[in-house]
Amino acid sequence: MWAKTITGNFANVIHGLNKNHLTDMVIHRSKRMILDTFGVGLLGTSTEVCQKVKQYSKIYSSDISSTIWGHFDFRLPPLYAAFVNGVAVHSMDFDDTWHPATHPSGAVLPAVMALSEAFPQKKKISGLDLLLAFNVGIEVQGRLLRFSSEARNIPKRFHPPTVVGTMGSAAACAKLLALNQMKCKNTLAIAASYAGAPLANAATQTKPLHIGNAAKHGLEAACLASQGLQGNNQILDMESGIGAFYTDYNPQTLPNLQSYPWLLDQQDVAIKRFPAHLGTHWVADAASSVRRKLVENSDISLILDKIEKVIVKVPEVKYVNRPSPNSEHEARHSFQFVACSALLDGSMSIQSFASESIHRPALQELLCKTQLVHPSDNKPSFESLYCEVTVVLWDGNAISDRCNTFYGHWRKPLTKQDLEKKFQFNASEVLPAEAIEGIIETVYNLEKVEDCSVLNMFLSGQSARVFPEKLHFTHSNS
Amino acid sequence: MGAAQFRQVFLQPLQSNWSSQFPPPQGRWCSHLQCKGDAHREGTDLVCRRVFKLLSGTDSYSDPFCRAAARGDFFSVSHSNDDILSCVYKWISDSPALVVARSAPEETVTSSFASFIHAVRPEHLSKIVRHRSKRMILDSIGVGLVGSTTHVFDIALKYCLELYSSVAVSNVYGKPGMKLSPTLAAFTNGVATHSMDFDDTWHPATHPSGAVLPALLAASQMLPPNSKPNGLDFLLAFNVGLEVQGRLMHFSTEAHNIPKRFHPPSVVGTMGSAAATAKLLSLSMTQCTHALGIAASLAGAPMANAATQAKPLHIGNATRLGFEAALLAARGMEANPFILDDISGCSGFSAFYSIYQPRPLSTPSEHHEFLLEKQDIAFKRFPAHLGMHWVVDAALSVRNLFINYAGSFSPSLIRTIVLKIPVSKYINRPFPNSEHEARHSFQFNACTALLDGEVGLSSFTESSIHRQELRELLHKVVVEHPEDNVANFDKMYGEVAVLLKSGDVLTGKCDTFYGHWRKPLSRESLLKKFRSNASHVLPEEKVETIISMVDNLENLSDSSHLACSL
Repeated sequence: MWAKTITGNFANVIHGLNKNHLTDMVIHRSKRMILDTFGVGLLGTSTEVCQKVKQYSKIYSSDISSTIWGHFDFRLPPLYAAFVNGVAVHSMDFDDTWHPATHPSGAVLPAVMALSEAFPQKKKISGLDLLLAFNVGIEVQGRLLRFSSEARNIPKRFHPPTVVGTMGSAAACAKLLALNQMKCKNTLAIAASYAGAPLANAATQTKPLHIGNAAKHGLEAACLASQGLQGNNQILDMESGIGAFYTDYNPQTLPNLQSYPWLLDQQDVAIKRFPAHLGTHWVADAASSVRRKLVENSDISLILDKIEKVIVKVPEVKYVNRPSPNSEHEARHSFQFVACSALLDGSMSIQSFASESIHRPALQELLCKTQLVHPSDNKPSFESLYCEVTVVLWDGNAISDRCNTFYGHWRKPLTKQDLEKKFQFNASEVLPAEAIEGIIETVYNLEKVEDCSVLNMFLSGQSARVFPEKLHFTHSNS
Repeated sequence: MGAAQFRQVFLQPLQSNWSSQFPPPQGRWCSHLQCKGDAHREGTDLVCRRVFKLLSGTDSYSDPFCRAAARGDFFSVSHSNDDILSCVYKWISDSPALVVARSAPEETVTSSFASFIHAVRPEHLSKIVRHRSKRMILDSIGVGLVGSTTHVFDIALKYCLELYSSVAVSNVYGKPGMKLSPTLAAFTNGVATHSMDFDDTWHPATHPSGAVLPALLAASQMLPPNSKPNGLDFLLAFNVGLEVQGRLMHFSTEAHNIPKRFHPPSVVGTMGSAAATAKLLSLSMTQCTHALGIAASLAGAPMANAATQAKPLHIGNATRLGFEAALLAARGMEANPFILDDISGCSGFSAFYSIYQPRPLSTPSEHHEFLLEKQDIAFKRFPAHLGMHWVVDAALSVRNLFINYAGSFSPSLIRTIVLKIPVSKYINRPFPNSEHEARHSFQFNACTALLDGEVGLSSFTESSIHRQELRELLHKVVVEHPEDNVANFDKMYGEVAVLLKSGDVLTGKCDTFYGHWRKPLSRESLLKKFRSNASHVLPEEKVETIISMVDNLENLSDSSHLACSL
């Protein structure tokens, strides 16, 4: 199998080359290169740019450290805390999705939270500072997504969080660091040099890394800019800047700051109910109601044999079209898998993606009967896509249902209760109840929180009882 | 775009109602200029005349429209991508009369974003925005908390814990005694390598060594004493990193020419570093596949950051992030196993190219022909973009002709300097303002060579860049792009013609500069370059030790000794 693909073939050669393959000529030439590179590098240590990165890299041998969510026992340097927490947020593809498509929060929140702990002792970051920085990060992502009509639809080339997420994280961190206008510009320029990961790594373990890296690299860009590092000051304006990631790039300036029109005001996010690609949420809702019609109160296993085929009408999205997913990450990116799971179980949950759920025979059997259809009016946009699931029985009967807007979509947002329920369930995997309640209360009152370090304490699993003085709001009207 | 078209496209729409075209910053700039107009009339006129000459090709400066356009309109269109335009922009910003213009904010999309980030305040947050964003924050935290129970999280965490807790084991170039964690040491040393654009260049164009070597050095120090790679292991890993870069460069015909969209070392360099470190760490074949896949997700930086301090970061990050990819793969992280293959609808490595034709590498049997065998590297003699080396050699021969002609080099005899160079926007900079811009300017390097008879380290200092004689010479430069001069390091040439006021013309042409792969540096020249570079930070004794260690690399028992001696 390996040698049949270019990638496998490259891996094969990298792995297979040995010292005997080196010729005298190659050795001779490469030694010249090594020596020259040493000299050039040694000389380069005296340059201004090198001073700045050395200064920057030293941050990580200092005592500054940030919270790892759910871990009381250890901390990491801010950059890697942002990375690890970012990976955690996207590890199950359970985080929010905006329109045009990206996962906005995961790229920003871990970065600003980690950065909030990296300031010198005396400096307190208020809840409002945090909210503002967060929203700057979200806003920048939304605006950048509007620079290309390509970006309106589900992507094909670059995974959006790696492009706009890196920029958003950088903007949010620049804001939290209160950088001046010139340094904000340099932050964006530097961040662009870290942006962009190909979509092919969707449905692999490397996709969660995309969010972790967006958070991490945006933070790094802001820190480097604050050290005085300079980049191109028209990075958003040029085809060879952020335009490099798009084929139809058309940048626009931002509105005036007086009564600033936030994109989040106009366009809410979708919050997922189960950990899978957003597109599968339409499928789950349609399939669940087909199941209700199909079995009413009886057991689905009794009628499985009666099913001839399952037709799922969805837009054409190549990376979510997976007839027989093999791993958890592939299952989260499979229209077919979610349709069959919801038909079998009536709903989707974290458990649906466990290895034993993926590989159970009933599901595998149903997957074999499933086919995707891509109606021409079903466009790959989270604003307009729909899903229709039809179960055709051997007796000729067909039962179908359609979902235009799933529960959790921005047109049909989760209630406060359901959002809290989701949070409590998620957090209870790793945090004690007191810390969970502490986080809910702190976030709800965020603009009144004087020192948001309390949030990091809860996130590490400590409870408010240990630090009653930390849970302090400027107004006590809540 | 020719001058006439330029005028049509950019200036005519502004002619009808140009005052209403100006967003506030330009408006301010214009009125500022008008106020200062009297005081600076002479200087302003000078600028207008230059601009007009550029647009019309004549010296008859009479068109009032051009005068108006030259005074103000360029800033409102300054984010366009046109060569002439940037030339005009530089021309204007270079003028002492218009210093006011330089300090005025430019209304670019980028600056509007920077202003927004900088200036937005908590009061700007609306109720809905606060409400929605709090929901997002809560949800994001919860999702992250539950995510901290996943396998992929465990890998990421273990990786960070192992590498970043307090493991500072890797040397930093020129800083004996200072240690950093391995990937940050790779980053720092990578930045050092490309900080002056003094590192080697291959064909098709990339800087291969800087992306590979720092990662290997840092990795060799990271490995435990019982599994230290020897010199030959090191040499092999280095060549694997080179080979992968070279092969990837052949996947796209686009890559044969000097790039426009992504900076090659940030694309193929990251992959090369992943391959090299995967080799040094003796990863399994599956892990090698995933290392390439992960590295692709860390690759790619836009060209626009060329000629800025962010460009050296590209090499630093290529070497560091490729290394990170291999370390993650070593810990079991998985990526798309078809990352190099052309998959439509869901791009892998092809995302970085518009033309992409992957080709397999021949599986090594007894023999493997490395690309380095067929295609040697170019070493630079002075710290600037490779393209500059042709122009400098051509300019030096013109200078010799000049001295034979007039007894000495006297700029006052020169009317025009014509540079015949390939079209490559990011190295065509009429008036560079910083060290990094100067390293990417045909004009600057040609004039420096003419003026000083050499280009060296000191040519790129602030004071050299801004000296009056050089600026005067730069004003005499005209650039031409002959059709047969293509932006390709295997084919390009540099030609410098000096038109004298007497009417005589002195011409020099360079097809292959000394240091190019067709005319490689002698061992003596290479050692001279190394000694000069290294002696800036290391004592002579250490410099000689490094030379002999590299000379005998295949016999070195522990390659980390090399890293320790830096």
